[in-house]
Amino acid sequence: MSRSTRIRAAIVLAVWVALATFPEWSVAWESSRFAAGIIRQILIFAIFASSLNLLVGYAGLPSLGHAAFFGGGAYAAAIVAQRLGTDELLVSLGAAVAGAALLALVVGYLAVRAVGIFFLMLTLALAQMVFAIAFQATDLTGGSNGFSGVHRPVLLGIDFNAANDLYLLVCAVALLVALLLWRLATSSYGRALVGVRENERRMRALGYDTRTLKLSAFVLAGALAGVAGALSAYEFRFVSPNDVALGTSVAGFVMVLIGGAGTLVGPIVGAAVVLSIERVLPSQLPAQMVLGIVFIAFVVFARQGLVGAVRRAVRA
Amino acid sequence: MGKRNDAAAERGFRISRRAFLISSSAAALAACAPSTTGNAASSAAATTAAAAATAGPPLKLGQLLPFTKVYAELGNSMKRSTDLYLKLKGNKLANRPVTVIYEDEANDPQVGLAKTQKFIDQDKVDVMLGVVATPIAYAIRNAVDSAKMIYIDTNAGGNALTRTTNNCTPSCKSPYIFRTSFSSYQISEPIGEYMASKKGVKEVFTFVADYGFGTESQADFTTGFTKNGGKITGSLKAPLGSADFVPFVTQLKAQPTKDIYSFFSGADAVKYIQAWNQLGLPAAGYKMNGAGFLTEQDVLAVVKEQANGAITSLFWAVELDNPENKAFKDAYQKEYNLLPDVFAVQAWDGMQALDLALQATKGDTSDKQKLIAALEAVKFNSPRGAFEFDKDTHNPIQDMYMREVKTANGQTVNTISDKIGRVTDPGK
Amino acid sequence: MTLEDALQQALNGLSFGALLFILAAGLSLIFGMMDVVNLAHGAFYMLGAYVALSVTRATGSFWAALVVAPLALAALGLLVEPLLLRRLRGRHLDQVLITIGLSLVIADFIRLRDDWGWGATVRSLPFPAGLDRSVAIAGSDYPTYRLFVIAFGAGLALLLYVLHRRTRIGALVRAGVGDAEMLSALGVDTDRLFTVTFAIGAGLAGLAGVVAAPVFGLQPGMDVDALIYSLIVVVVGGLGSLSGAVAGSAVVGPADTFGKVLVPQFALALIFAIMALVLLFRPTGLLGRVRIGR
Repeated sequence: MSRSTRIRAAIVLAVWVALATFPEWSVAWESSRFAAGIIRQILIFAIFASSLNLLVGYAGLPSLGHAAFFGGGAYAAAIVAQRLGTDELLVSLGAAVAGAALLALVVGYLAVRAVGIFFLMLTLALAQMVFAIAFQATDLTGGSNGFSGVHRPVLLGIDFNAANDLYLLVCAVALLVALLLWRLATSSYGRALVGVRENERRMRALGYDTRTLKLSAFVLAGALAGVAGALSAYEFRFVSPNDVALGTSVAGFVMVLIGGAGTLVGPIVGAAVVLSIERVLPSQLPAQMVLGIVFIAFVVFARQGLVGAVRRAVRA
Repeated sequence: MGKRNDAAAERGFRISRRAFLISSSAAALAACAPSTTGNAASSAAATTAAAAATAGPPLKLGQLLPFTKVYAELGNSMKRSTDLYLKLKGNKLANRPVTVIYEDEANDPQVGLAKTQKFIDQDKVDVMLGVVATPIAYAIRNAVDSAKMIYIDTNAGGNALTRTTNNCTPSCKSPYIFRTSFSSYQISEPIGEYMASKKGVKEVFTFVADYGFGTESQADFTTGFTKNGGKITGSLKAPLGSADFVPFVTQLKAQPTKDIYSFFSGADAVKYIQAWNQLGLPAAGYKMNGAGFLTEQDVLAVVKEQANGAITSLFWAVELDNPENKAFKDAYQKEYNLLPDVFAVQAWDGMQALDLALQATKGDTSDKQKLIAALEAVKFNSPRGAFEFDKDTHNPIQDMYMREVKTANGQTVNTISDKIGRVTDPGK
Repeated sequence: MTLEDALQQALNGLSFGALLFILAAGLSLIFGMMDVVNLAHGAFYMLGAYVALSVTRATGSFWAALVVAPLALAALGLLVEPLLLRRLRGRHLDQVLITIGLSLVIADFIRLRDDWGWGATVRSLPFPAGLDRSVAIAGSDYPTYRLFVIAFGAGLALLLYVLHRRTRIGALVRAGVGDAEMLSALGVDTDRLFTVTFAIGAGLAGLAGVVAAPVFGLQPGMDVDALIYSLIVVVVGGLGSLSGAVAGSAVVGPADTFGKVLVPQFALALIFAIMALVLLFRPTGLLGRVRIGR
């Protein structure tokens, strides 16, 4: 490990410990419980946005159908747990990962042959079909009324039903996903993905099977989105077609862009900004307009997202 | 724009004075009297002192309503109604000064749940009201139930919310949940019975919005219609929010059954009724029937006489002739220069039921069981007629009106043609 | 389905397709010329419809609205392009974010303007006098306004074709779609050309808003629906060419209408299924050139 890597690792660890112990040290604050809930949701969407960032930011694959894997994972976790009558975390989380990865394999297989806006529209179209299934297969998914009564999981006898325990679980999973993505980004695999984004023809000439490379990234991103989906099912104890809908795909996309595509911290910041505006801002304010103005401001004033802006400021 | 606002401000001023007069005690009025002689400062001080002496602890209400996305106008209407109720009561219920926290559910179950959790954890509201879309009501059901927070549903009509269901799927009743709107059974089943038994209709073709509520309405209508000897000859569904209704209505016209039963609301209902007329279905002898939202105020304001002849069932109509409805309409129109709609009535009755229950508990909200018992015992005359909760399910027991759309003097309204008394949801 | 019903549905499909063409033409032009996917296109469409509502209320004339609303939207386009988009040339992800932001602002602005008679209530624009009737076609009533829409769509396609082929700006557009850098090297003021292009595209969105309003109505969420439909048409037809937009709408309109009749259980995702099918077999759309330099 180089020195700068060690410093970075120390910072990440410190931030994580501060975050993970938030419910304890903020307990005197009257908004502590509510804030902890919002942080859980931000972390869940941070995982979702980070998984999408692997496609948009690294591989240059602008997917507008990523909610299919988020919602697909959520449904898989909820349905499998209910049908098998178990609350075991490894079962439902495993089902979410497997379900989302399988779905991503099918969608990705069909979509990676297209590029640019055609890829974007093809992922949108295929995700809308997943949405239609979620919306209409009432016996399986509960249809438009949603799937209610999802249980919070247990792991080796630890019950995550209490809000603070669930909080720890979400923090732990978020850290694992972040570390995995960090490893990936600095690995030869990550560099190959960036190579595909920059110049696919050149990568092919260098002997890379770019289509398989792209498909593998698509499946991996889908599986991680499924993890986020499962956590969302535990958090809300409810899954609805909204989780598979275009709005959720767009939200993820936007989180990646305002934070800064192709950076590791960007999607986390993006998730925090978007969810804060949507869920914390007082309802008297026009949230959609605020969101719109924030998007425009980011493009005009913070080129390459917040992270890019901070980097430039540090360098200057 | 300026003029309209000035007028509104003036109306607001007048109503607030009226409200003040209604709600103030005789003593407060006496204390006020000297102000006309010029001694304003001391009289104001006296009023404040009198109020402070009697006012109970503040009461916090959480209203979860849609203020953005497709149902925004429903949320606006329900907020107007709530604000008006409180204004007329001098902003006090059972002598407790009221703060209402409005949150936007944005027609998204996740957001709705996050905001409900905010009411529970952060605002610590005494009672929660609102919610327009059934999926959101289902999504928040368990959170409300486990927090033991009393919640009055003022719109969402999915049957399961006030029923005992297998595995609580998709939802189920809770001792903490009350409903001042309706169940989809109530607005769909009676009109089925009515058409078969009273109107002598033999055959009906159904055409509904393709989502949970539309499907439920279709099934409940079918039950009521077929158990009285009617026959359903076929059915068609249109996706929620379809851009173009003409291809669907063309299909209605291509089949022979003349009576159509529908569930649509808002923009879908508008497009459906417009397509119905453009393709000449009235002239071809087709008859439109449906659950009341098909021809509610928001829809009639746009389609006007194009809806003439449609028969729909609902627990209220703006023309309903009773003193409570007249008083409600007058107050609402004075305040907002608008006719109230059914959503306003539902929110109004939510406040009214809560108000009466609080009066019974002398403003106590800490003993949940006592407040639940008080709500269960509430009976009053609503703008819709006699209102009470079914003690087993907390769904309202209410009259259902059969209404026909007619246009007279340029006004298109739902005229009441029949009434089915005390309709109770069959849920247990 | 009887022959008569089939004919009716064919007319439904054609008029839907014509509306889609009017809707998609501006998006296609902006994409082809400027390489910008304008995700505010749906919001421009929505704003056009609401401007038309106000103009019709004030003047009593649909035809006045048909002129004023596109001009108003074109004026907005003249502002937006230099202020927000010019600096983002070639930065696709930033263009996506800023045009989504713009559309959120426009849609929420409309929601908040109750006092202009806009707001979140469902509104509708009445059919213009003379086109509010139905005529008998194949033994059944058919609304004249829908026939007008078919004619209008065809007329617009013809007009755009002539402009495209026979005028100087058309020549510049043709050249620009091929290679904007080359134009710039030849001394054409591409900044001005792009501003004008964007304004025309926005104006076309406004025009679509006016023409579609009597059929589709005005309500919150119409912007997103319109955006998705126009993206689908443009992608199915093949990006950035007039003939692509024509082909896309000619396929999507009737396919969507007949699909709803023949396989109603798939109505919800039908339009996406059509797009996916086309893209699976022709990854660059029906008439798309294989120019994938991105």
